[in-house]
Amino acid sequence: MKVPMRWLRELVATDLSADQLAERLTLAGLEVENIERIGAHWDNIFVGVVERVEPHPNADRLVLATVNAGIHRLTVVTGAPNIATGQKVALALAGAKLYDGHSAEPKLVTLKPATIRGIRSEGMVCSEKELGLSDEHEGILVLDADAPIGLPLRDYLGDEVLDLAITPNRVDAFSIVGIAREVAALTGAPLRLPDLASLEGPGDPSLVTVEATDLCARFVAVALEGIQVGPSPWWLRRRLQLAGFRSINNVVDVTNYVMVEWGQPQHAFDRNRLRGGRLVVRRAHPGEELETLDHVRRSLSSEMLVIADTERAVGIAGVMGGLESEITEETRAVLLETANFDMRSIRRTARTLRLRTEASARFERGLDPNLGWVAACRAVYLLTQLIPTCRVVAVFDHYPSPRRPRRIDLDRNELPRLLGVDFPDSDVEAVFHRLGFTTQIRQQGGRTIWTVEVPTYRSDVTIAADLVEEVARIIGYDTLPETLPVGRTVPVEIDPELRLIRQLQNGLVAAGLHEVITYPMVDDAALRALSTHGDVVPERLGWYRRPVEDFVRARNPIRPEWSIMRPSLVPTLLQNAAEQLKFNDVVAIFETGKVYVPRGRDELPDERRAVGCLLAGMDAPRDLYHQPRPVDFFDLKGVVETVLARLGARDLTFRPLTHPTLQPGRTAEILLRDRSIGILGEVLVTVAERFGIPWHHRVVVAEFDLPTLLEIGLEPVTIRPLSRYQPIEQDFAVVVDEGVPAADVAAAIEAGAGPLAVVVRLFDVYRGPAIPEGKKSLAFRVVLSAPDRAVSDEELQRIRDRIEQQVRRRVKGALRR
Amino acid sequence: MEIERIRALRERALRELAEASTQEQLATWHARYLGRRGEITLLLRGLGSLAPEERPMIGRAANDLKEELQQAYVRQETAVRERELAARIAAETIDVTLPGRTPRIGTLHPVTQMIRDVTNIFAHLGFQVVEGPEVEYGYYAFDALNIPPEHPARDVWDTIFIESEHEEIVLRPHTSPMQIRVMERRQPPIRVVVPGRCYRYEAVDATHEWHFHQIEGLAVDERITMADLKGTLAEFARQLFGRERRVRFRCDFFPFVEPGVDFAIDCMFCRGEGCRVCGDSGWIEILGAGMVHPQVLRNVGYDPERYTGWAFGMGVERLVMLTYGVPDIRYFYQGDLRFLQQFDRIVP
Repeated sequence: MKVPMRWLRELVATDLSADQLAERLTLAGLEVENIERIGAHWDNIFVGVVERVEPHPNADRLVLATVNAGIHRLTVVTGAPNIATGQKVALALAGAKLYDGHSAEPKLVTLKPATIRGIRSEGMVCSEKELGLSDEHEGILVLDADAPIGLPLRDYLGDEVLDLAITPNRVDAFSIVGIAREVAALTGAPLRLPDLASLEGPGDPSLVTVEATDLCARFVAVALEGIQVGPSPWWLRRRLQLAGFRSINNVVDVTNYVMVEWGQPQHAFDRNRLRGGRLVVRRAHPGEELETLDHVRRSLSSEMLVIADTERAVGIAGVMGGLESEITEETRAVLLETANFDMRSIRRTARTLRLRTEASARFERGLDPNLGWVAACRAVYLLTQLIPTCRVVAVFDHYPSPRRPRRIDLDRNELPRLLGVDFPDSDVEAVFHRLGFTTQIRQQGGRTIWTVEVPTYRSDVTIAADLVEEVARIIGYDTLPETLPVGRTVPVEIDPELRLIRQLQNGLVAAGLHEVITYPMVDDAALRALSTHGDVVPERLGWYRRPVEDFVRARNPIRPEWSIMRPSLVPTLLQNAAEQLKFNDVVAIFETGKVYVPRGRDELPDERRAVGCLLAGMDAPRDLYHQPRPVDFFDLKGVVETVLARLGARDLTFRPLTHPTLQPGRTAEILLRDRSIGILGEVLVTVAERFGIPWHHRVVVAEFDLPTLLEIGLEPVTIRPLSRYQPIEQDFAVVVDEGVPAADVAAAIEAGAGPLAVVVRLFDVYRGPAIPEGKKSLAFRVVLSAPDRAVSDEELQRIRDRIEQQVRRRVKGALRR
Repeated sequence: MEIERIRALRERALRELAEASTQEQLATWHARYLGRRGEITLLLRGLGSLAPEERPMIGRAANDLKEELQQAYVRQETAVRERELAARIAAETIDVTLPGRTPRIGTLHPVTQMIRDVTNIFAHLGFQVVEGPEVEYGYYAFDALNIPPEHPARDVWDTIFIESEHEEIVLRPHTSPMQIRVMERRQPPIRVVVPGRCYRYEAVDATHEWHFHQIEGLAVDERITMADLKGTLAEFARQLFGRERRVRFRCDFFPFVEPGVDFAIDCMFCRGEGCRVCGDSGWIEILGAGMVHPQVLRNVGYDPERYTGWAFGMGVERLVMLTYGVPDIRYFYQGDLRFLQQFDRIVP
């Protein structure tokens, strides 16, 4: 909403500067986003009168104009085709800053005296473009005849325009009058509302028939004759221009002017082009069409409200008029519509047609129906001022249930109860009165209660809390003290899942992974890409299962790629890795996001916290000390084991797994106490390739499910007492068949070593000449320690024997001597 | 006789000690002469087998020798250690400007970092951190929050809807639905903060994302006032952005609060003078807030005559952008490690 200060000051006589007003309005809830300063750079430009125009002796297209601007009187060379003796013009003297009239981009240049075809020109008469008013450069700007000669142009034409962001509740502030009322309330400056014509109503019911009474609370129709359509006077055009409107002609300009001034949209029909000369307010007929003022032919639906003549739609109510009945130079009779339409209906129509206009923007906020009459009177006043022959021939007002001012009770204790600070009664009442509210005070049951009557234009004020806000914002939110809440304290517990997420994040960061957050949406193609052949959405998506019915789908996705709430973190991590590998040799990332598992069709999905980890490319960057190698399964396994162990999942086991996304033989299910909590594996190169990861990169992913982890339960850390005795370190090399899992051998050793084994660590896997074909040798270091004694040679021998036994029995292995 | 042997022993021991030029040789020497089975030790132990009249003299000589050798040993050891140290220092000088061996530590996403910073502040002010569903019923996202069906925020243009049959299901466009869920589940006093992802049907540019994070706050009790809201938010802002911050409350509109507030701090880049970051206003808007609307309290079965409350909601990405000068909101979810690795502070 653009508010020119000169216009505003006409309605409210405030001494405050534009900046001061902007500050006050902003704090009170009407945010001024910008102040445009028109003419701030207009030094050395004055209002002048053209006294004489003579031909240029040396050029056919140029003339010499003598311009009198009071103390300055000079002859300038100009090519303006529209210059004429007697015109008031803007005369720029040397040193003035003007926009280059021939430059496409705004470019300020300083005017210098010049000799044009042999004639010295000390100044210039300016076009609108040169002054920065518009792009108009066809001719010079001609000012109103009463412009005072010699006045600096800045004083005559300069202005400041406040650009306000109006919140959706304040439809009243969508007008100069509304802002003026607000300024009056904030500053106490007197309000001077614009002059109105007086109309007699309801008058002639033949002018309009309201059929859709449910969508049209009020319809004021004024029939005018003696219309002469022409350009608007400069002041009117200028004001509309500053408010962001283009000037069309005097009749249309008046309707726009009234809309800007009062917030009430109007529409003027050429009455002679209305069949039957009258209007009908109805819903559109099925299949009805209308070419609107913007030259677009639009199909209407039967939910849309239209203004029609006796035969066809001539306007889309509250949105845009029809082209055929628009005001033209031939228009002699006008039917002026000032109506109040249902906000929801207008909103739907504008949305369906993708046609949001200045009018619809106002209607869809819910206009005050009482505004209709005032706006009609204002338009008639302006039309009769501009067109002396114009006269009202008929008026009709459809307004079956007039809106009355609302009365709201406000307990005076509500102010301190909500605000935490109290104001004297007189201050509170003064605020209400300045806002145009009336008050009555009464005592009831020992309480003081104000009954406040709120004018209908403040439709946003409906309850006591609204009145409290009015008091607070007019007195100023800055007067509120800063306190901390008193009262009962609330015990603050930490949600176990949130705590676990933080721990996981910390652990994975310590393990060298970077946290990413990805858009949690994918599409069918991304899910199909997870399968071995890329043709179907696989049964297993990361750790999760494909839902039986369908995924959680958006009805109106932003982009097709983001249409499904992801069922696993794996696809978005792979997408991310593909991007990362373009810029980085080392990709080590994780995400602690949600996956969305559908339940019923009208039920909310199960939003499960998952953790996804991905390593790709090299293990670490090349530096002085490190020769990089490609990452593999064991890099990520180590991360997962270490971090989960530190969360209390100390007895993880890994079991080979067949998975549609992951490479057979390099994939495992992660189990905690025999329950599956996640998966870990190297991504099939064919799958990775579908995500845009080149074949030569190795990609390892893991995904695990937090609710399952919490369900199984994590063990607290238990501390072993320290032994004073020197531990014994013993190495055991076990020869087993190639196919025996290392974990089984380790388990056999642990079983044999018994409780004294504090460490059992695999440190070598050997295949070679010393070992038979089809076998391998696994070397373990075992650290034995007893809390209360040194482990004796006899004990050691017994343990050796037991380990040998267990290894033989469990994995058919033999100890190497 | 014995005296001769002792003299010979002394000479040999001192010669060998003088020849011991490493700590290892010294240890060997020490074991040979002064150790548990060293020659001096054995000599002293053998005194018992001497004739009684020889014992005092030989004994004294042996003890003197032990004393002497011990002192000589300490001197020699000191010299050897000093020499070895000097040699080591000379040999091991390095270029200390060579890079260190860097431990590979990851980074937390800046949004996670900011959520932790903010929720830590509120946790210390007595607020519990809770989270809620991102896929949400229209009732919680709008109706219960006093956003009627014709309100702009409900337009299909602003909200991403989820396919459903009868119920309206949306991707929550703000964290405010959790106000309702928390109040439905509990009774006052309530003090919670709710971080989480939100979604809007919005074109993406340098300052707009369709997927972003908010942190919601809610306090409900008897005698909770707007002055408390101001004090709490001021304390929060000063903990996050510096003690010297000035704060500004201005009137604003959100359907689920009344009175409504826009909360700003003075611009920390220009200290309120006006610059590009604050759009020349001197103020940076941080969040929207207000007193919980009586209708919202009624919607969860609270008596608005008895309870009052306030709520606030802030955009996390915006806080990060302000704190670190991030120029483009799209950086957050492109997952570019070149961006993420810059947030390498250790987060409390």
